[in-house]
Amino acid sequence: MFSLGRRAHFAFRLVRHASLSSRESKYLTGTHTGPELVKMLETDNSKILKLVRRKVDERTALMAEAEQIAINGDPSSQEYRDKTRRASELLVFQDAWSSYESAKSNLLETHTLLSHPDPDMRDLATEEYPSLPPTLTSLLLTTFPSLLVPPSSSSQHNLAGALMDLKSGVGGQESSLFLSELLRMYTRFAGSKSVDEETGEVIKAKWGVTIVQQNDADAGGIKDAIVEIKGKGAYDLMRWESGVHRVQRVPATDSAGRVHTSTVAVIVLPMLEESDKVEDELFKMDDVKIEVMRARGAGGQHVNKTESAVRLTHTPTGITVSMQDERSQHQNRRRAFQVLRARLLDLKLSADIASRRATRRSLVKGADRSEKIRTYNWAQDRITDHRVPGLTVRGLEGVMEGDGRVGGGFGGLVGRVEEWGREVEVEECLGEMMEALDKEEGQGEVGK
Amino acid sequence: MLNNFRARLISQLGRAQANSEIKWMNQFIVDSTGPGAKATANTLRLEDLLRRRVGGEPLQYILGTQPFGQLDLLVRPPTLIPRHETEEWSLKLAKATTPCPSAPITILDLGTGTGCIPLLFATIWPQGSVHAHAVDISEHAVRLSTENALRAGVSTRNTDAKEARNTFTAFRADYTQDKFWEDPRLKPPYNLVTSNPPYIPLQEYEELPPSVRLYEDKQALYGGKDGLDFYRSIGRVLGFPGALASEATIALEVGHDQASQVAEIVERIPRIDIGSLEIWKDAWGKDRTVVARTHEP
Repeated sequence: MFSLGRRAHFAFRLVRHASLSSRESKYLTGTHTGPELVKMLETDNSKILKLVRRKVDERTALMAEAEQIAINGDPSSQEYRDKTRRASELLVFQDAWSSYESAKSNLLETHTLLSHPDPDMRDLATEEYPSLPPTLTSLLLTTFPSLLVPPSSSSQHNLAGALMDLKSGVGGQESSLFLSELLRMYTRFAGSKSVDEETGEVIKAKWGVTIVQQNDADAGGIKDAIVEIKGKGAYDLMRWESGVHRVQRVPATDSAGRVHTSTVAVIVLPMLEESDKVEDELFKMDDVKIEVMRARGAGGQHVNKTESAVRLTHTPTGITVSMQDERSQHQNRRRAFQVLRARLLDLKLSADIASRRATRRSLVKGADRSEKIRTYNWAQDRITDHRVPGLTVRGLEGVMEGDGRVGGGFGGLVGRVEEWGREVEVEECLGEMMEALDKEEGQGEVGK
Repeated sequence: MLNNFRARLISQLGRAQANSEIKWMNQFIVDSTGPGAKATANTLRLEDLLRRRVGGEPLQYILGTQPFGQLDLLVRPPTLIPRHETEEWSLKLAKATTPCPSAPITILDLGTGTGCIPLLFATIWPQGSVHAHAVDISEHAVRLSTENALRAGVSTRNTDAKEARNTFTAFRADYTQDKFWEDPRLKPPYNLVTSNPPYIPLQEYEELPPSVRLYEDKQALYGGKDGLDFYRSIGRVLGFPGALASEATIALEVGHDQASQVAEIVERIPRIDIGSLEIWKDAWGKDRTVVARTHEP
């Protein structure tokens, strides 16, 4: 049993690796000689090289300027500190560039040795040679892009986790039932403790899970719910759940045995660290209308009903948040502000992305939340993610059980979506940088 | 039977409120029947809780607790259940006051009930910055508020020695009596006096909803013919020489239409010089709290 799980995990990694290197495989298959390969790589990817080269030059210039300040000026000045700090941030480019240069010369030199008159030398070279092209290619096509592209905009905010907002869509009761199953999948994945299969040790839960709000449907299932997933990295992974989830199965309630299609809409919001001050850069207190539900008559000692519901309205955006799950009005108010803040930050992040993408087509689907992102088909025992080409997982129950095993269950599924998304983001961002480079060089020529 | 109770609760409270209350009852059953708990699923059944609720018993007495700010207070009949309005103004007052261990303050809470008001302060303010004395005419309330202090981790040692922690001491005393200040456990002068005294007038008392009138202590609700008897007593008590520190705050919860009359009583307290007087509204827009501060000397 145990070894089977581990083997499955290993196979999964192999598959992933194969898909990653598709860009690189162009250079690694075929019969190019070393010099031909280097020429091809550097011609095709001249812009990446140029972008990295610029960072390296920028660092060299900064170091020279800092040295001048150190000799002639004031090394305790802000200017000196800024320059040295920036230079040390750019050190990774210098290191990667040096690795690339040495990999390149290693490849070219070894190539000449392949035809060396000394057979011992030839043997050594023949043995070493096959590992060299992949190293060079991977530096240029994987390492350089990942250095050039800044981490996603969400990681620039100090996020405490994610708020997942689930709403039943088409399909009535069946949709509500499916929502409760999705909710269970998420809470189990994020919050359940697991046992290490080898040592038997209990691994603590990945993240903290709290159901903030839940409205049950009268006939069973859940109409809508908000669940808080607290912990580092929760948003970066779970944000790939945003979108419409479609279920295809014969509902327990259908006596005729017909397959129904129902949907649940999921929106994942970024959650900030809770601060003491209610107001922050996301909104002004004057713009928030706070209402307590219902008339209470004389109130005070006259009434002991638990009327704790709170509704917030953010006037500029029209966002309203109602919260009634807690018995304490104070707690409901706190929760409502937490959700409001998450919605506003989500708006801000979406606007950032939209403005960056204004000039080009977006490759990342799911930025549009009305888009169908995944199908859960019971009859075929499969889950298909519509964003990642060819991503279909068998063993639906295993995924829905949402256990946190690496590579398996729900974690494996969403992990693949995340990796794909990150690759697409890197590619998009790189594309933008190249466009900017083209524009700049075009202008430079006009200027001449 | 269960569905019958459910339907009656919905007709009494509306669907949303009834569903919320049923959810909280279910949660209470889950929390109280876990491993090591005294109750079991057989002795603690939703049906029984619903029967009591439909019969008019307050939800808070059924569940045995009421949240109050960050506190989760024990509540037991007939001690008055802490209200949202009280929670709201107490939190506001807690934010507006900033005592610290180097300048600790003393509080007198008149008619403390569950102890909610001073316990909220004692858990919000830094340790060693507040020493609260809480009095009540009811032995039940004294016991309950002391339990609540222990539950909230607030020390109940009444000591003259400089205590490094926040303290809360409750004892039985009747502030309507002239010899109130003869009680040696009281340590005037006080920096802050708080009270949510009984303020419901005779006519309104008779019209109270059964869940209030039949379950909560009349001594905590009924304020005399015009509802103002206890404010007059508070005025007399605070007018006693040396009752208040030179810089003091008085915060009194009032009934929906009593703010101006109570403000007048406060302004006429002999020997104290009111510097500022505010009337705070509650979340429902009703005048709810009279807050008076003495002049700084």
